[in-house]
Order: sequence, then C-alpha cells, then structure tokens
Amino acid sequence: MAKHGFGHNSPGGLLRYPEQPPFPLKEYSAHYDHIFEMMEELEAKGEILIHRITEEHQPIEVFTRTGRIKTIPTNKLWHHKSCGQCGNIPGYPASVFWFMNKFGLDYLNEPHQTSCTAWNYHGSGTSNPVALAAVWLRNMHQAWKTGYYPLIHCGTSFGSYKETREQLIMNKELRDAVKPILKKLGRLTEDGRIVIPQEVVHYSEWVHAMRYKIADLYQKEGKPKGIDVSNVRVAIHNACHTYKMIADDYPYDPEVYNGQRPAASAAVVKALGAQVVDYSTWYDCCGFGFRHILTEREFTRSFAIQRKLKVIAEEIKADLIVTHDTGCTTTFEKNQWIGKAHGMYHPVAVMSDVMFAALACGAHPFKIVQLYWNCSDYERLLEKMGITNWRELRKEWEDTVKYIADLEKAGKYDELMEFFKEYDLYEPYSRTSTGKPKASATANMPLFKS
Amino acid sequence: MDGHIYGYNLPISEKTKAVPWEEKVRIVEEVKSDFRFKEYIFGCLNCGVCTASCPSNRFFDYSPREIVQRFLEEDVEVLYDMMHEYIWACSQCFTCWIRCPFVNNPGGLVAIMREVAVRNAFEATKDLLKPYGRVLLKVMTTGNQLSADMLQPDFFPDWGPKMADNMENLRAKRLAIPFDVGKSVKTAWEVSLETAVEMYTIWRETGIFEMLEKLDPNLYNVIMDIVEENEERYEELYEEEE
Repeated sequence: MAKHGFGHNSPGGLLRYPEQPPFPLKEYSAHYDHIFEMMEELEAKGEILIHRITEEHQPIEVFTRTGRIKTIPTNKLWHHKSCGQCGNIPGYPASVFWFMNKFGLDYLNEPHQTSCTAWNYHGSGTSNPVALAAVWLRNMHQAWKTGYYPLIHCGTSFGSYKETREQLIMNKELRDAVKPILKKLGRLTEDGRIVIPQEVVHYSEWVHAMRYKIADLYQKEGKPKGIDVSNVRVAIHNACHTYKMIADDYPYDPEVYNGQRPAASAAVVKALGAQVVDYSTWYDCCGFGFRHILTEREFTRSFAIQRKLKVIAEEIKADLIVTHDTGCTTTFEKNQWIGKAHGMYHPVAVMSDVMFAALACGAHPFKIVQLYWNCSDYERLLEKMGITNWRELRKEWEDTVKYIADLEKAGKYDELMEFFKEYDLYEPYSRTSTGKPKASATANMPLFKS
Repeated sequence: MDGHIYGYNLPISEKTKAVPWEEKVRIVEEVKSDFRFKEYIFGCLNCGVCTASCPSNRFFDYSPREIVQRFLEEDVEVLYDMMHEYIWACSQCFTCWIRCPFVNNPGGLVAIMREVAVRNAFEATKDLLKPYGRVLLKVMTTGNQLSADMLQPDFFPDWGPKMADNMENLRAKRLAIPFDVGKSVKTAWEVSLETAVEMYTIWRETGIFEMLEKLDPNLYNVIMDIVEENEERYEELYEEEE
C-alpha cells in the first residue's frame, strides 16, 4: 500500500510524488493512489500487462489533486475518439489533429475502435460492468497492438475508464469474468494477460501539458494574423466526468487557483493570455444528465440556463464558456435559444479549450474549428479576437460544401475525387511512425455506406 | 403507509404494493450483491451535502441522501418503489460522490439500481427507455452511440433554427472536413466490420442482448437482423482470406 507523504516512489515508478507539496493539500491520504502500486503487483504476478509511457511518447509531468505526479504522453498517440464529438462537434477532434500536425507529432486514427458505451450505460442502465470492462480492454488492447498510446477524447469515456480500471484492479471476480471474453476476442497478450494502460489520459490533459507550446504557436502564427485574445473574458466549465469521477486523477496546478480548482482548461486559456473569470456556480454540472438531454429536456435547459448561462452572463459577462467535454459543450451550446421564450436569453459563445486555442493560433474557424455547427453566438467572439474576416471565411467554407454537394448530386464522382486530391486533406492514416500509409485491413468496408 | 416521515414523501405506488414481499427482497438483495455496492456505501452522517449539491434535486423530488439512508435502514419497500421512476431523475454527474465526507457514491448506487431494474424488466424501464431506441440501435450494432444524422431539427425544435441549417447538405459538410473525423453520417466514425463483430460477442457473453430481448422485443429483432447480417458478411470475408 502507498506510504503517504511526499517524495514517495513506488518500486516500479508508477506512483510518484514530488519532494514538496506543489500546493496546499487537504487529502494527503488519498484512497486512490495505491491503485498504481496494485497495478505493479498484478503485473508482477502475471495477471496484467501495463502499457507503459516511454520516452518516445515525449511525456510531460503534471500534478493531480493529491499532488501525485501524472505522466502525460504527448507523442505517438492512438486517438480514442468521442462519438459525440465526431457525431456533432467535429471541429473538436479536428482541432486536436490540427495541433498535432502543427507540432509534427505522430499519431494514429483508425476504425478499429468503438465508443466506450458508458453514455448509454449512464443514460439507460442497459449494460453492466463486465461489458463496460470488456469494451474498454478491447479498445486498449487494440491501441497497445498498434504500438500507439491511447488518448481519450471524451470526458465520459475518461471517467468511466478510470472507474473501470479501479474496479478491475480491486476485484479479482471482475478480472475473472472479463478474461474469457477477451480470450474469445483474441484480446489478451500471448501469455494470457489483460492490457491496462499506465495512465488513462484525457485530451484536455494533453492540451494542459502542451499549453506553453500552444502559447508559442499563438505568438508565432496567431498574432501575426491580427488575433489578440487578451481582452476575451472566459468562464471555465469543468466536466463532472473528468474531475468528479475518480476525482484524484485529474490535473491541478499551482498556477490555477493555487491548486484548488481543476487546472486543465483554465491553464491553456491563461497561457494564451486570455482572462479566466471566476463565477459562483463553477462547481455545478451543465445539466446534460445523459438521458435528460434526450428525454427530460425541460430539466437540461432549465439547469443550463438558470444555473450556468444566466449566472455567467450576469456575474461576469463572459465572452466565452470554455469546456472540455462533448456533453457540456452540446448542452450550453444548444440550450440558449429556447431561453428567449422566457426572457432568459444569455447569448455567449461556447467551445472546447482546444477549439478556442486553435482559433487563437490561426486555425480556420469553419474548415478546422467547424463553427458552422454552433448554435451559440460565436460571431461576436471572433470579432473581439480580431478575426474580423469571418464572413469571407464562412463563405469560403459554404462554397466548398456547395461544390461537393453539387458534384455528388450530379454523380460526378471522378471530379469529386479530383477535387479531394487538391483539397488539403490531413489524412491521419498517413501520420504513422514509418511515415507510410497505414490503412487498416477493413478500412474500406464501412458497416453503413453513409 | 403513504409517504414517510422525512425525505421520501411519495406514496408507495400501487405497483410496489402489489408485488410479493419476497420478490421485493430479492430485487434489493440483487442490488446489494453487486460487487460495487460495498465500494459505494460506507456510512452516512445524514449531512445532506450530496443532496444540497445535486442538480436533479433542484428540479425533481429526488435526493441522493435518501438513497443512502434507505439502504442503511434496509427499507425494502421504499428502495423497491424508488426503482420504478425515482432513480431515473439522477443525472449521473457524481457531484454527490466527490462532496460526500464518507466518500459514499449515491450516483453509483443509482447506476446499480437502474441496471437491476432493466435486467428484471421493470415496466417503468420499458416506458422510460422508449425514446432511447435510436441510441441503443446504434450502440448495439456499430459500437457508436451518436451520429450526425441523429440530430434532426424536428426532434430538437428547442435547439433553435440553426439546427435546420446544420442538417442541410449534411453529407457534403461531413465530406468537407479536412480530417477523418466525421466523413460518416450514420455513424460517428467509420467502424470496421471486425470491430463491430467483436462488440456483438461482448453483448452475447455479458447478457446484454438477452436483457434487451426482455425489455423491447421489437428493437431486439431489428438489432439482431443487422447483427446476423454483419456476422455473415464477416464470416464470408474471413473464409475468402483463408
């Protein structure tokens, strides 16, 4: 078990503390951190294989709520995508990829992955811990098999995976239940072990770890375009499933409220030089509620408007709410317009930390950041940031969409393919360590030709 | 009796009253026998911090404190009654968990209760989950839960007029994204056939298909048609490769 106190290292090095507490800590004896020692014990017994973060992942260290040092890999990453982001906020993952290309990092984006299925579970109860564990371990095995380290895009996947890891490490009966299933799938190592990553890493932690490089890019590429974020007032909304679910395993930093608030998104906004503005309901959830956003929408919109949007508008007059989870972004974004019906219209731009950072660094607001999906009032923010040519940029995007739609409707597929050859597609399959295309065996066999 | 001296002030429903006592005990024991139960409940100061910070408590007659208290009191009648509709007010945000001085996890208890209610095909779950059919169809057959074509403006009129514009030329908009993060319209991303087939094995082995059959036979049949078709396609491809 963990020896509580600072300067402690576990024998295998997974559990590490700094010599001095990085900020005032209340919970020296956190219940969670010993999981890392138990993982090493299970590996020594031959039960699990820990997918380790190595030098090739260009790791950056951050602190967590308990002061534990968490290792964030920044290179050679396997993108575990979010169904919600790819489904309805595609500028979210596109901004992540855009940054990785800008920094020349190696990554893999492939179709051999599923959603975590936890949204379904939390919304409808139609799964169980064995199924959730099997889905997670299957995805993690796939990442390990490719040699790339998993980066989790979705907040709920991140929270659910951290919880599942704890359950697996603590419960032999769960490991025993899931192993035969994984064996059937061919998802155990050759010597019959399950693969568990050293750290479960959320993309916002990657952004947090990369914040100074992002700030450099802003200085080098964003500012010369006339972009200035110094007057932008930002309300940070932290997602429940990133920092309330397995609360001990998320970045806290001395530079962000002296370590007393989750650091990830606030830190990158600060590094860019924008104004992080505090408000009284920072702790509240967004009102997403899983099933609520689909079937109890009066709850979702009431909560989002009354507890967050109204407070943010009246207390701090923010220009932007920065989020780091799909559900929160959707909830704030889509539940503003309905407030008009009750005289509670508080228009404010909503986007994720990485989308805002990409805009600051000069990414195309529509082609990359995909703001056309936004129902919220992003135009005023763009003006304030100095992106005053947004109308021309939107027209450029709309013309491209229309051109593609017209060609497809006319069945002119050859012309369409020619267009795509010229179109500056960032093909993630080509971004592998060998530099050669690495399309999967079944990449050309979509389940639904859509 | 109808109503309770504190907290759970809903009258015990006729549905609950009509169920034999042994059955109610069996259901509550099924919840308590879950391996997570002992990790989610330790003790309770009855301080109410969980309820005070609970978003659902602000809008519904719902209290996480009540869930913990009833388990500690082993109040079978109320716990069984809660499993009809009460627990579905929880938004699974886990604010209760991080706030609790005892590190109880009322949201986690609710997750177990929901799962047991669904597994035992409570009538309430059948009604509550009807609007969830599209999500279940996607997740069971493709492993994706959300896709671009699910955000239809007529289903989300309260999201405003921009939604209609978003859906216009949807496929072209997806194709125009210069990264492979949304080319697909009917799935969030292209999922390989072998990945989907692996998911089907997980659903079979963990009893998810079986549970769905009890819950919604029509949806189950639709899903199984797609599952079997994909499994056949996969086998054919596998044989060709052999």
